Amino acid sequence: MAKDWITRRRFVTDSLMTATLAGAGTFYGPWQHNAAYAQAKPIKLGLTNDASGQFGNSGQDDHRAIRMAIDEVNAKGGVLGRKVIWVTADTESNPATGTRVAERFITREDCSILIGALHSGVANAITQVANKYGTIYLNSNSSAPSEAAENCSRIKFVWDGNGTNFTKAAVKNAVQAIGKNWLLLTNDYVYGHSTAAATKGQVEAAGGRIIDNMLVPQNTRDFTAYLLKVQQVKPDVVATAMGGDDNKALREQIAQLRLDEGKPAWINNQQDWPDVWGAPQTLFGVFGTTWYHKLSLPGVAEFVKKWQDANKDGPIPVPGNVSYNGYMATRELFRAIERADSTNNVKIIQELEKLKVPALARMQHHDAYMNPDTHQMQQTVYLARKNRKPTDNTDHFEILSWAEPKAVEDDVAPTKCKLIPYDKVPTVDS
Amino acid sequence: MLDLLPHLVNGLVLGLLFALIALGFMLIVGLMEQINLAHGSLFALGAYMGLQFIGPNPPLPADLTTYWLQLPLGWRYALALVIAPCLVGVVGIAVEVCMRRTYGKDPLYGLLLTFGAAMVIEEGIRLIWGTRDYVLEVPRAVSGAFFFQDLIWSTYRFYAAGTAAAVIGLVWLMIEKTSYGAIIKAGAHDSEMVRALGINLSRLRLSVFVFGTILAAFAGIILAPIWGIRPHMGVDAVVPAFLVIVLGGVGSFWGAVAASILVGLAIGLSAAYASEWSLLSMYLLLVAVVTFRARGLFGKKSVLEA
Repeated sequence: MAKDWITRRRFVTDSLMTATLAGAGTFYGPWQHNAAYAQAKPIKLGLTNDASGQFGNSGQDDHRAIRMAIDEVNAKGGVLGRKVIWVTADTESNPATGTRVAERFITREDCSILIGALHSGVANAITQVANKYGTIYLNSNSSAPSEAAENCSRIKFVWDGNGTNFTKAAVKNAVQAIGKNWLLLTNDYVYGHSTAAATKGQVEAAGGRIIDNMLVPQNTRDFTAYLLKVQQVKPDVVATAMGGDDNKALREQIAQLRLDEGKPAWINNQQDWPDVWGAPQTLFGVFGTTWYHKLSLPGVAEFVKKWQDANKDGPIPVPGNVSYNGYMATRELFRAIERADSTNNVKIIQELEKLKVPALARMQHHDAYMNPDTHQMQQTVYLARKNRKPTDNTDHFEILSWAEPKAVEDDVAPTKCKLIPYDKVPTVDS
Repeated sequence: MLDLLPHLVNGLVLGLLFALIALGFMLIVGLMEQINLAHGSLFALGAYMGLQFIGPNPPLPADLTTYWLQLPLGWRYALALVIAPCLVGVVGIAVEVCMRRTYGKDPLYGLLLTFGAAMVIEEGIRLIWGTRDYVLEVPRAVSGAFFFQDLIWSTYRFYAAGTAAAVIGLVWLMIEKTSYGAIIKAGAHDSEMVRALGINLSRLRLSVFVFGTILAAFAGIILAPIWGIRPHMGVDAVVPAFLVIVLGGVGSFWGAVAASILVGLAIGLSAAYASEWSLLSMYLLLVAVVTFRARGLFGKKSVLEA
């Protein structure tokens, strides 16, 4: 029996040898990234993406690009040497669900940063929760002007162009070239309302007038009554601010009636790529976007290839504006953390507020910058229409023009946006 | 002031479309006393199956596919209107077989089962066809637009409304004027007596459920060119269908048809004159009617008691 005993000397020697080998292996083995991750806990992100409801399709396009940016940074060793991990849940295009998901991610999942939004009501609901805890929230794709105005927040950053930006790019020329009588077709929720308000301001400033504003409840599937009224009222221009599935159903019905041929002219605020894919023949009028996969700019083709490699079995073969914004938001967040050399929320916020991205890095025509007073990314805004001469089966847009960020910036937003001082933001550190 | 007539016409057309959507739901509720929450998903599945047969990749053997694709679009469309709902009917058989254990028990079991079936069908759609949207191509004869009262109208909507009226008439004739319809009604009214007369009650219930499923799928194909095709389109169908049944009076055939037309008119007129109220108007209508007539417009009277 005695020979099975471990002596004290042998125990100490073996322990030291094991510790030495384990330590050396951690730092000098082929698993250097893991070695780095092991030093600190991972940075955990909560991805608040719609997977169902009005914006389910776009929400998942956003999600795919955010994941791609996370995979990319992890492949390079993480952020500050720490692995980035994530959890996600379907926010269902529903503000109440958005609130529940955000609360759970912050309080139970220990997420230090939230990313993702399409529906402006959901984005606003998540903001309220994130505000309470000081959690940074990246609104990647909700384009309601209110998101960077009355609903802005010190902890929130908005990455999409908004209704005001697109309106400013389109309205002035349209009033002069097409006519002064405008009718608004407005989805009855925060995006529609704030975009319609911006359009009204721009139209009136350009000398036009709004002859009617038809509010369309969310989840409307039959637009005939509205389209009959459009014909009866006979406006020069109809400006739509519709989102998600409502927008798709509207497009299908306008295409059936061929109302897009001749008068009235149609100005559609923004057409998200996932809403276009699958039904490109229903595109009509002039519309806005922040990015297109056929832009003749350096880096675009490489980004498309990278996105395709990451999403081989995805439902959409090429990235569009939604994926683009989701990717850019996430990528710039990681870069801001690296620059701040900290995961402290206020330090990251201060880095993001100073953000300037050259056109080359943005794959857009102009340099972009974060407005520190509204926390909205100011970027190139493109006007487009249906492409009559596509080069392949993904080439659905004809880019007509692009406006530099300054020219389309929302001048009124800074007066509405009240950011709280840094010392009032609850401290969060990953 | 806007001319009222176009909006009345639009409301009527919309009402007929709602009636078409609700028809299968009404049959199953009225004749089997089962609330089929999978109705919307079967409606969506019908649209997808129709798309599959009308589009460039029909689910047929290679040599038959070549022949099929050579057929004019009108023929493919007409055949898809028959074949696709029948294939969805097979799914209906599976759902009904699962439902058998819930008959005669708390209705909650049937509700939960059909809710689960709805989820499975919708996720199945996502797996097979993906999450993207599709547009259903329709024959030239029923597409495009025409002028009426100086306004442009969609030809397809009138074709769809006409089809809805024809289907409503045929279903009514089948229930009221055939011996099979009489057996179905009798089975719902007194199942024990029907069984005692030697009629196979299980087969009877199966046939009613499958018929309701076929009608849901047919409505899906008819509505697809107006609403577009996407995995969750069923939700857009099941809500108005349920509302129409309650408003018209559960089990009442003509109650459901009248309620559909009332809902269509309420939505059509409110969209024109008070647009923000258009969807709310159908719920207000329901509240107003149920406040004074708890059993809906046509009360307890139903085809079963006709």
